Amino acid sequence: MSLSIMNLEKSYSDISGKNLRVLGPIDLSVQNGEFVCLLGPTGCGKTTLLRVISGLEQADCGEISSEKGRLGYVFQQGALFPWMNIESNIKFPLKAAGMAADLCRSKAEEILDLVGLYEFRKSFPHELSGGMQQRTALARGLVTGPDLLLLDEPFASLDTRTGINLQEMLRNLCRRLSTTVIFVTHNIEEAVYLSDRIVVMGHRPGRIVRDESLSLEWPRNRLSSTFTEVLLSFRHTFEELVDPSISS
Amino acid sequence: MSRLALRKKVRTDLRQKVQGLLPGLIMPLVLASLWFFFSSRSILPAPGAVLDVLLDPSADLLSCGSLFWNTGVSLIRVLLGLSIAIMLGTPIGFLMGASGRFRHFTFLVTELARPLSPIALLPLSIIIFKDTSFTEVLGLNQLKYSRNILNELQIGMVFILAWGGIFPVILETMHGVRGVRKVYIEAARVLGASRLFIFRHVLLPASLPDIFAGYRMAVGRCWMVIIAAEMLPGTNSGIGYLLRYSYQLSRLDIMLACIFIIAIIGLVFSRGLELLGEKWLLLRARER
Repeated sequence: MSLSIMNLEKSYSDISGKNLRVLGPIDLSVQNGEFVCLLGPTGCGKTTLLRVISGLEQADCGEISSEKGRLGYVFQQGALFPWMNIESNIKFPLKAAGMAADLCRSKAEEILDLVGLYEFRKSFPHELSGGMQQRTALARGLVTGPDLLLLDEPFASLDTRTGINLQEMLRNLCRRLSTTVIFVTHNIEEAVYLSDRIVVMGHRPGRIVRDESLSLEWPRNRLSSTFTEVLLSFRHTFEELVDPSISS
Repeated sequence: MSRLALRKKVRTDLRQKVQGLLPGLIMPLVLASLWFFFSSRSILPAPGAVLDVLLDPSADLLSCGSLFWNTGVSLIRVLLGLSIAIMLGTPIGFLMGASGRFRHFTFLVTELARPLSPIALLPLSIIIFKDTSFTEVLGLNQLKYSRNILNELQIGMVFILAWGGIFPVILETMHGVRGVRKVYIEAARVLGASRLFIFRHVLLPASLPDIFAGYRMAVGRCWMVIIAAEMLPGTNSGIGYLLRYSYQLSRLDIMLACIFIIAIIGLVFSRGLELLGEKWLLLRARER
């Protein structure tokens, strides 16, 4: 699903009632099937942008135009329903869409197999490790075969090794389903590993400071010199954002 | 596992269970022996006399009906009042939790009414409802002069029980709904769930443990209220009435038997509901 955002702005009023602009103006267009990372330091409004795209929050002005399509969303902490087992969690979006029970089950079993959680389908979220919970959250986001998948730092709370495994899994699944993805992260390596295109955001107010498609080919090797080069260049942009005196 | 080993395991399990219970039995045994020892020199009846009453629960006592009958009357009154409290209180609590406007609208009334003891309303409810029982409400006047449970279910009694039970239900339900983490609702919304679907599959299950806690508190309160209410004017049946009547006739053996039954039913209510909650409502499957 392609998506285009024009002139989007968003403000909050803080405790003293002062208007604080957190986003904008932002222009961004995403092509069908593209894997885009929104990369930026904490507080730059990338999560807010994602929430506006998903419809969880309203923008003050500007517009978002996209085709009509199914949406998948993965939260930072998974946000799995603790009173449902893994299978029911994954079936939730299917049931919400009014799908017949046996079709729900076969779809859920298919995706459970893909993320390697089939044996754990009757377990409850608190019985699983953080990585498995996040895999469940991924499966729940992908089970409907969404046209647009939004992910909000889904691997931030995991250890590096688990995070890398899940990055690989996510990338493979998305290529297989040719899903359009917007992935929010503050981890530069993660962004360089995953994306077709990286959009770097700066803060106060949140705005786009760099937008670049990556020419790295698949499969990507984190140890190759080209990978490190790209990584370093984005690290440079990132450091400049935090401390502008570096560039001089 | 061989049959012998299985039997051995069952036996050790049983022994462990009995051993687990033993420390808890020490206090009751000490109290019982003290009672046994002192009852001969005081006004208290001997434990044997009380036991005799308890062991023959279907015998008529003081022409008030049997222990069975009076306990049953109290229990049915409580169940009736409690069901009304639950049926009205749960939706009200839900609305108060889900809608800020409704909460502000009802807040003052519930806050004022909540600390008011239901017993304080007994005289008023007798004035309003007289001694109208369900026999009259249902138009079954032919039953009026027979011993029938409907004659004992006074509207006023059920009213104050419902009053006593409804506030724990309302408040706990409200807290439960308000305490549902926002991220669950957002997750459901963004995964395409409609409002009704979110209510049924997110709000309800997420607040169920609190709602159930409200029911448990309500049962406890109703059981306390009914005993007190039955000791006051307005009825001539129920375990509380038998308690007071036996006291007036100085039949302390019956009085103590009543106290035992009240305590045991209270215990069964609270422990039973706790077990039921854990078993069927998956209350344990919540995030800890």
